[in-house]
Amino acid sequence: MTSIGTGYDLSNSVFSPDGRNFQVEYAVKAAENGATSVGMKFKDGIVLAVEKLVTSKLLVPGKNKKIQTIDRHVGCAYSGLMPDGRHLVNRGREEASSFKKTYATPIPLPALADRLGQYVQAHTLYNSVRPFGITAIVGGVDDDGAHLYMLEPSGTYWGYKGAATGKGRQSAKAELEKVISNKPELDAREAVKEAARIIYLAHEDNKEKDFELEMSWCSISETNGLHKAVPKDLLDEAIAFAKAENGDDSDSDDSSDESENEKDNEKKDAEGDVQLE
Amino acid sequence: MNHDPLQWGRPSDEHYGTYNKSIASASPYPSMHTQQPIVTGTSVISMKYKDGVIIAADRLGSYGSLLRFSDVERLFPVGRNTVVGISGDISDMQHLENLLDEMQTENNYDNEYAEDEEALKPSYVFEYLANVMYNRRSKMNPLWNALIVAGLEDGKPFLKYVNLLGVTYSAPSLATGFGAHLALPLLRKIVDSESDVKKTSAEDAEKSIKEAMKVLFYRDARSSRNYSIAIVDSKKGLVLNKDAVVEDMVWGFAKDIKGYGTQNV
Amino acid sequence: MATTVASEYSNEVKNTPIEHQFNPYSDNGGTILGIAGEDFAVLAGDTRHTTDYSINSRYEPKVFDCGDNILISANGFAADGNALVKRFQNSLKWYHFDHNDKKLSMRSAARNIQHLLYGKRFFPYYVHTIIAGLDEEGKGAVYSFDPVGSYEREQCRAGGAAASLIMPFLDNQVNFKNQYEPDSHGTKRKHVKFLTVEEVVQLVRDAFSSATERHIHVGDGVEILIVTKEGVRKEFFELKRD
Repeated sequence: MTSIGTGYDLSNSVFSPDGRNFQVEYAVKAAENGATSVGMKFKDGIVLAVEKLVTSKLLVPGKNKKIQTIDRHVGCAYSGLMPDGRHLVNRGREEASSFKKTYATPIPLPALADRLGQYVQAHTLYNSVRPFGITAIVGGVDDDGAHLYMLEPSGTYWGYKGAATGKGRQSAKAELEKVISNKPELDAREAVKEAARIIYLAHEDNKEKDFELEMSWCSISETNGLHKAVPKDLLDEAIAFAKAENGDDSDSDDSSDESENEKDNEKKDAEGDVQLE
Repeated sequence: MNHDPLQWGRPSDEHYGTYNKSIASASPYPSMHTQQPIVTGTSVISMKYKDGVIIAADRLGSYGSLLRFSDVERLFPVGRNTVVGISGDISDMQHLENLLDEMQTENNYDNEYAEDEEALKPSYVFEYLANVMYNRRSKMNPLWNALIVAGLEDGKPFLKYVNLLGVTYSAPSLATGFGAHLALPLLRKIVDSESDVKKTSAEDAEKSIKEAMKVLFYRDARSSRNYSIAIVDSKKGLVLNKDAVVEDMVWGFAKDIKGYGTQNV
Repeated sequence: MATTVASEYSNEVKNTPIEHQFNPYSDNGGTILGIAGEDFAVLAGDTRHTTDYSINSRYEPKVFDCGDNILISANGFAADGNALVKRFQNSLKWYHFDHNDKKLSMRSAARNIQHLLYGKRFFPYYVHTIIAGLDEEGKGAVYSFDPVGSYEREQCRAGGAAASLIMPFLDNQVNFKNQYEPDSHGTKRKHVKFLTVEEVVQLVRDAFSSATERHIHVGDGVEILIVTKEGVRKEFFELKRD
């Protein structure tokens, strides 16, 4: 950490002599350490999937939703500091609502992404605030079809065919690239399954932790252009598919710390942590 | 004191010089509130029947006596089992439309059950609108409308009225404006009390609503032949027909119509 | 000043601006009546709801059981009436939250309502309010209020559209006003005694059917709420619908 002790990392709106804003870079770290989120575009819509780490056995399974709705046609998933994400979503809702009031039409996704981008960027400018500790994936359907954006703590946003953030982003991105080049014409239900598989795959590197898969979609054919949770039966089907494809027959719920079912190609280090390839 | 009505309470210029309005960022005009409706929609009529409710409103937007807009929708579905019918000022109606839209969007935020247990019910929609109307009247800045909320709640028909004063009431048949005088007596022939509701079929209810819309088109100068009619039925759900037309009218000379006025046939 | 100009229709036309102002009030008719007995109280109201000459509804109840054996009705401008009742019910709820579910006495309920009404002294709730219940000793109690909150405990009170028709009847039949012992040639007043619940209910029904005959804003039905130490009971009787 070259920044430490220089003083240039203590405040927003101050560049280091080599032209970096360390607060923003730390915020990126916060996002990268979060649970994996994936977004994928398909023929007529988008699917969002998040890895929800089960931090306590006392939490009620299937509750505590992470994916949020910004407007009826827009969904949002994010990795990093959850409260920052919720704040961003609230801002998105205000923008969407005011746009609709002003123009009598739902906010187009490029416009929403731009407004959120500006808002996040503004949080890199002032001493009184800190940047957002999240990377948000915003997706939905408007008059021009499906859109998927990923928004970073700097305020940068790009449009994607497939986007991933959080701890498992590397393997998720690699897999997204494969899926998108091999099957460019995915339909909604196939995309849901692939996204589920990618979350399960990305979780492989973090296996000692229990997780739940949460998914939502927004498609012209399946949800009439509305952002909705993936229905239970399809979610179950996607989970079964994901498990089968990843060659994992154990349920995520019972893969506890002391379980002996590590894959044979995994190596452990001295402290028992799985060594990544 | 300056006695110009727009400057009441201000010191007069000859004594103290011109008042600098930017000091208090005061508007040069007094704040003004709605005093009268401008473009208006006429009656909304509605009735309960044994499995649901029917509500109808024509599609005209009048500018005084000018038939200004001929295709204005005044029935608004909210969720899957509520319809709001609005008469009165059209711009205020569109404001209410925005509020209803916002309410539906907000009910979907972070709500897993938005389409089931926590779906918006007619009574919720009504309570919200009634509060909006009463609060606005209490600020002496009313929304110049009379509305009827119709729907199905827990399998039972729901029908309630609220107007610009925030006055609310419920009855087996309801109508706003002219409809309260012309249509309601006809509807009350079918459903005068709750016990009549249980005896009334969807067909009979629809027939009397259509007949009442015809009478209104005959007798209300600010009405149109085209209208919308919505039915919320326990089995068929919410059906909104936006291109209903008044039919089977008789425009012959009165002296030749049997049963009309004095005749010695 | 108010000068006139000739119009082409030769009628005089005022050229001073006519001011239109939104009128935030209306009269929704109906009438209410509260009577206190020895160990009970009743609060009754007709169920007709009107504006001008229109009957909006034949059954729109306006007497409410708020819990704690307190009945309330605010008759006049219905929107204000409902708002007042809702505010009182909410106030009662918070009284329970704040004071460990302590029962609200009639005396305190009445004072609380005075504050609700007087709080809008310069934009009043356009209603005649009556509450009925049992006092701390278990005796029937009726309190009545004017629109801005001045109030009084009474044996009986009629409010609303037909108050002026019913009140003299009540004076005569409840407080035996102008009733004298037979053969005393108007020198010995009839001794006042408490009426039974049955007598009071019959009195209320007579009052409402008579008011229905003479007043167009009264009719359709009468709902009578009766408080005793056992709780609140409701009775409904049809009235003429013309």
